This record gives sequence, structure tokens and C-alpha cells, in this order.
Amino acid sequence: MRDDDVLGAAIRWLNDPLVWQGPGGVLARTVEHLGMAGAAVLLAAAVALPLGVWLGHQGRGGAWLIPLTNTSLALPTLALLMIFASSGLGFGNRPTIIALAVFAAPPILANAWTAVREVDRSVREAARGMGMSSARSLARVELPLALPLVAAGLRTAAVQVVASVSLAAFVGGGGLGRFLVDGFGTRRYGQVLAAAVLIALLCVLVEAVLALGQRLLTPVPLRTGRGAVARS
Amino acid sequence: MRRRPRSLAPVGLLATVLLVTAACGEPGSADGAAPAPAETTTSDDDGAGDLQACAPVAGDALVVLDDDQGLQTVDNIIPAVNAGATDGDDALLGILDEVSASLDTDILIGLNRAVDVERRTSSEVAAEFLAAEGLDQQDQVGEGRAVVVGAGNFSESATLAELYAGALRAAGYDASTQTIGNRETYLPALLAGELTVVPEYVGTLTEFINDQENGADAESLASSDLDATVEALTGLGEQVGLVFGTPSPAQDQNAFAVTTAFAEEYGVSTLTELAETCGELVLGGPPECPERPFCQPGLEEVYGLDVAEFVSLDPGGPLTKAALQQGEVALGLVFSSDAALATE
Amino acid sequence: MIRSAAGLPARAVEPVANLWFTWRYVENNLGDITTALSQHVTLTVQAVVLALVVALPLAVLAHRRPRLAGPVLGASGVLYTVPALALFAMIYPLLWDPRTTVLIGLVMYALLVLVRNVLVGLQGVDRGVVDAARGTGIGPTRLLLTVELPLAIPSIFAGLRLATVSTVALVTIGIIVGYGGLGQLLYRGFNSQYRAEIATATVLTLLVALVADLLLMALGRALTPWARGGR
Repeated sequence: MRDDDVLGAAIRWLNDPLVWQGPGGVLARTVEHLGMAGAAVLLAAAVALPLGVWLGHQGRGGAWLIPLTNTSLALPTLALLMIFASSGLGFGNRPTIIALAVFAAPPILANAWTAVREVDRSVREAARGMGMSSARSLARVELPLALPLVAAGLRTAAVQVVASVSLAAFVGGGGLGRFLVDGFGTRRYGQVLAAAVLIALLCVLVEAVLALGQRLLTPVPLRTGRGAVARS
Repeated sequence: MRRRPRSLAPVGLLATVLLVTAACGEPGSADGAAPAPAETTTSDDDGAGDLQACAPVAGDALVVLDDDQGLQTVDNIIPAVNAGATDGDDALLGILDEVSASLDTDILIGLNRAVDVERRTSSEVAAEFLAAEGLDQQDQVGEGRAVVVGAGNFSESATLAELYAGALRAAGYDASTQTIGNRETYLPALLAGELTVVPEYVGTLTEFINDQENGADAESLASSDLDATVEALTGLGEQVGLVFGTPSPAQDQNAFAVTTAFAEEYGVSTLTELAETCGELVLGGPPECPERPFCQPGLEEVYGLDVAEFVSLDPGGPLTKAALQQGEVALGLVFSSDAALATE
Repeated sequence: MIRSAAGLPARAVEPVANLWFTWRYVENNLGDITTALSQHVTLTVQAVVLALVVALPLAVLAHRRPRLAGPVLGASGVLYTVPALALFAMIYPLLWDPRTTVLIGLVMYALLVLVRNVLVGLQGVDRGVVDAARGTGIGPTRLLLTVELPLAIPSIFAGLRLATVSTVALVTIGIIVGYGGLGQLLYRGFNSQYRAEIATATVLTLLVALVADLLLMALGRALTPWARGGR
């Protein structure tokens, strides 16, 4: 049983309709996976976007934003997941969504902040010179210009979250990570390989869709053929 | 900083191949018995059709249902040792046996209580127990030989591994512990010599190796007779390269728990009553449960239980208990030596 | 949920407060903590050093042959989307050695960050400086070693810091094969719902990352004395 044809088993697994159907099938798990990731990103964006835009507009927060982002890199996702799952939130999908939202927030926050900060000073002054209020300048001038970089932050966060949802299986949650942990537990390494490929594909797909969306959001004159600069 | 693949072409190609070929094979062609929990719904329907589906009932208190038809066999603790490690080392098994002999089921439950209820770690509890039993005073026979004691991913296994490792360390071995998943994961590592010793359970291990060596349909070798089961296990061990110490008086079997609220609502106290009362149950347990003879298949074959859905959780750990308490599963696999559940 | 068990020695089980922080845990488990910590640190150091050893030639190759830059970055980018959990789970059945499994996985992830940063560093070296150096008649190898790489040090160190900090966090995923450094304590704490163990392991992981980051920052500064004059 040790060195079976893992690749063959993976292909057989993917070819089995029973694997795809039903409440615990690949299709249902994929929907669950994307649903959890979507919820985490929305939750993070709901907090981080307004905060980042406001701080950037005010020109404040630079001192602690970068350390915060770096700390979030150093904090293991698994650790936060286990802390939340052991703190009365219950096990399963809920602590996972909250933990992943915490990890999605820093890139969204930092990019939104940078995006608004980096709107050309002269543009901002021109808007004020035309008699726009501060809020109106933010809404009509700064935000549209900041949009591409804001989208880059969302994209970074989303791809990271889609990959990390796999860890939910450690705390009794669902998503495609279930196939990894269960496959490992039952020594179905074909299933592990196939599920890993599925998750990687899902990440690449999400990345591609978001890259397209980001491009559509970018005003035509600003398109350079390359994505905006995300973190690092 | 993350993931910005410049070239998506190869991935696109792979994705196309994958999706074009996906799900067009024979149903059930994936290896193993139950590729997805979905398949377990197709299990036999003998007379279960007219039974009520028993929805889980949430509640804090849990109760173990009586295994009245003896699905579980003798599950005394026994050290499983890589045969290579005992070549030219007569002392190793003796030290492990000394630890095993110092335990009984009540002591084991006490150790589990210290870890799971009293908030102490396995290593703390093990060190204290070894000192209290004088097992930390050993003849220096180890000569610094390296021994890796493996443990499964549940508290009791970790504590037993620490007990073995602690006694070996006291005898001059260079002993360390390593927690690796479940039997499916650690047994190959033990056979390969990556691990030297793993605390095991006589009946469960016997059937596990029997299944591997003689096929899933082989006649079962584990029974309620400890000596006979150990003899069968020893024979199987010779085939695969394992030797065993003397079984400990301490036992820990698989047990199946429901909430007391569930037991009262449906009036069940034994697994037979459960099978006669309830159709379409939701069962929770470790990922490997749908394949283990003493877990889901045993419940279905011995009791005729109708498991509608299996939820993959953990071996009698916090996930399973929480799922029971919150009413996500009706029946959950726990251990008979669990300090929070033990009834006798 | 605790039912008093009849037949057991009637010891009143006092509900023990499940605190997030208690010195009792640290005092009583110093041995385990030290073992996990040293496992964590050695894995991280080995992974980052190995990744750097592999990343340098790859980046130099991609720099010298710009046509290779796309595939090299593309391949490592795709690799990066495979979840660490899946990667560890796939390598383990090939090697049956938990330590090597985790190490290889970590090297693969650190590699992407390093290749990218070394390449950016090399590309960022002023053309004028390179041309001037060439003018003195030195060969390509000496040019690389004495001019290009030293000037790329700030970018290389930025990559090293990022790779190290990410690696420290990733080691914990090694629990899937039983070799996750401080992650082992996280997992054990989770399995017995011992909050102090989970919290202590988390704080220690953060500390390891912080210390490593500061050390690398100091080392990077020490190696680029010319960069300090500017401030």
C-alpha cells in the first residue's frame, strides 16, 4: 500500500462521479470553500477598506500600518485558527472565516492606505482649488485614482484566503481541505494529490478572475499592461 | 508579495485536461471503499426504511451507549516495537513492560483526566506518574541508543508515549516522542523504522494488520479473549516486522456516545436499541472511521445501524464532543477511558 | 459535560480555570518548549539557507538570460499557490521522513520570494555602474561577485527577511506529518483544549519571527556600510 501509483489514483479519484456529487462531494466542497473565502474577504474588506481609505486620506496611521502588516505575516494562520476555535466561537467554519478575515485585512488595509496616500498631491490640491470639499475630493477624485491599487490589495488577500481555507479541516471545518486531511488520514494519497491540484487550480483561477476584474476597474489611460504593485 | 504567476498557460492546459476528464469514469472507481461521505448513503437498507430518522439533540452531557453485542474486542494497551530495534537489545521491551504493568484502566482514566480536564500536558503528567511509581529509576542499559516513540493525535496516546519515552530516558536511552496523525500514518513509519515504539491497542491493531496483510475480507482474529488475540497479533507482527511487549491491564476501547438529551428523547441506552429505534443517523468520528472495522463498518454490520452521513472530526477529541453537544452529529466515536465520559 | 463517573475514586474534579496565559504551563513544560523551539529554529534556518543557495544561481541565470526569467518566475509562482498543507501531505508518502518533508516544503516556498527579490536586486543595479566596471576589463564572474551582488544586497536582504518571517509561520503546518516545531504544541494544546499551551506557542512563534527579522536587518546593514552614509 505504500508506494502505489499515486498519480493513477489521483486521476481515478477525479474521474469518479461519486467523488464530485453529494453533500460531501467536490462540487459541494468547492462551493463551501469559495463561500468561506468570500465571507472572510468581505468581512475583512468591510473593516479594512473604509479604515484604510480614511487613514490614507487623513495622512495618518503610517507608523503602525507597516509593522502590523509584517506581524500578520509572522503570525501562523494555524495559531489564530486554533485560538479562535478554542475561545468559545465553536469549531468549524465560523472561527475559520473570522481568523482568515484577520489575515486578509492587513494587505487590504495597507494597499488602500498607500493607494489614497499616493494620489498625486497636485491632483488633490487642484480638486480642493476647484472648491471641492475634503469628502467630495475623496469620493470624486482620490478614490477613482486609488481604485487599481485598492483592487490589487483585495486580490492579494483573496488568493491568500482561498489557499488558507484548506486549514479549516484542522478545526472541524469544511472546504476542499477536508479531502487533504481525510485523504492523509486514510492514506489515499491519490486523493491528497488530486485535492491539492484542485485547490491550487482554484487559487490560480481566482487570481486570474480578479486580475481581469482589476484591469477592468483600472481607467484606460492608467493601464500599463502590468498589474499594479501589491505588497512588497 | 504573494502569488503572481506570470505564465498561466501550463496551468490552463492542466485545468482543461482535468476538467475534460473529470467525473466521467465509473462510479466508485476511486480507490477504497468510500471516496466521499456521499457514498455511505447507499449502504444497505434492510428494514431500516420504516424507522424514524433520529435528528441529533444538542446538550452538554454525553453518555456512552452500551456495546451490548460486543463489537469491540480486547483493547488492552500494548507497546508495538520495530523488530529491528530489539535486535541485540534485550532490555527495551522489559522497560516498556514495566510501564505497561504499572497501569490499569482506572489509572489510565486518571491520567486522561489530568490532561483533558485539569489542564496539564501529557509530558507533565507522565513525568509525575513515573516518579510516583519509581519508574524514573532504571538501570543504565540504554547506552544512548536513539529511540523515537510515536503517538497518535489524541491526548491518551501522547501521554502513553511520554510514559514510555520517560522510562527509556531514565534507562539511558536517547528517547524522544513524535506525534504523527493516526494509525494509517504512523504504522508505515513504525515499520520503516522511522519510529521505534508506538503505544497500541491489542484488538484494534490486530484487525488493522490483519486487514492489510490478509485483505479486507479476512476472518477477524481479534476477540474478547486477550491471550488468543495477542497470539494472533504476535503472528501478524512476525509477518510485518513488529514485536510486542506484554499487554497492560489497562484497556481503552472505541465507544459510541450520544447526548443524554438524545438518549432520553429516543429512549436508547444500548447500540442495539439505537439501531432498532433510529434510521438515518449522522455519525461523527476520525477521518479513518468509515474504514475501520470497529467504527462505522462494525456499527453497520454488527448492529445493522443505518449511518446516513459520516462527519469527519477527530479521534474522541474536542471536535467530536463539541459536534455532539451542539447537535451536529447524533452519534460520536469516543474512548472508553475518556475521563469526562467514563461510566462503569 | 463532565459526568461524575460512578465506580471511579470519588475525587472531586475541580473545574480548572482554562487561562490563556499561566506561568505554570511554562514552568512545568520547559523541556517540551525548548525541544519544539529548537526544532522550529533549526528548520527555519536550514530552509532559508538552502533556499538562498538554490535561489542565487537561479536568479543569476534568469538575469543573464532574460528569456528564462518568465518561466522561472512563472513556475515558482504556480508552485506557490499549492497550499503548504497539500505539499507536505504529498511529499511525505514519497520520503517517509517527516523532517525532510517539512524542510523541502519550506525551501520551495522560500525559494519564490528569494528568486524574485534577488532578480529585482540584480536588475536594479545601475547600468552605468556595470558599464564602468566592465570598462576596467573584469570578467562576468568577477563583475557578478564584486559589483552586481553586493549592490543587490538590500533587495536580497528584503527577500531574506520576508522569506524568513513567512517560513517561521509555515513551519507550524508541519503538524500534518508530526514535525511542526512550535506547531506541535499548538496542536497538542488544541487536542486537549489547553489554552495556555496554544497561546504560549503562538507568542513564541511571533518572537522567533521578530528576532530573526531584527537579526537579518542588522546583518543587512552591516554588510552595506555604503548605504548608511545616505541617511
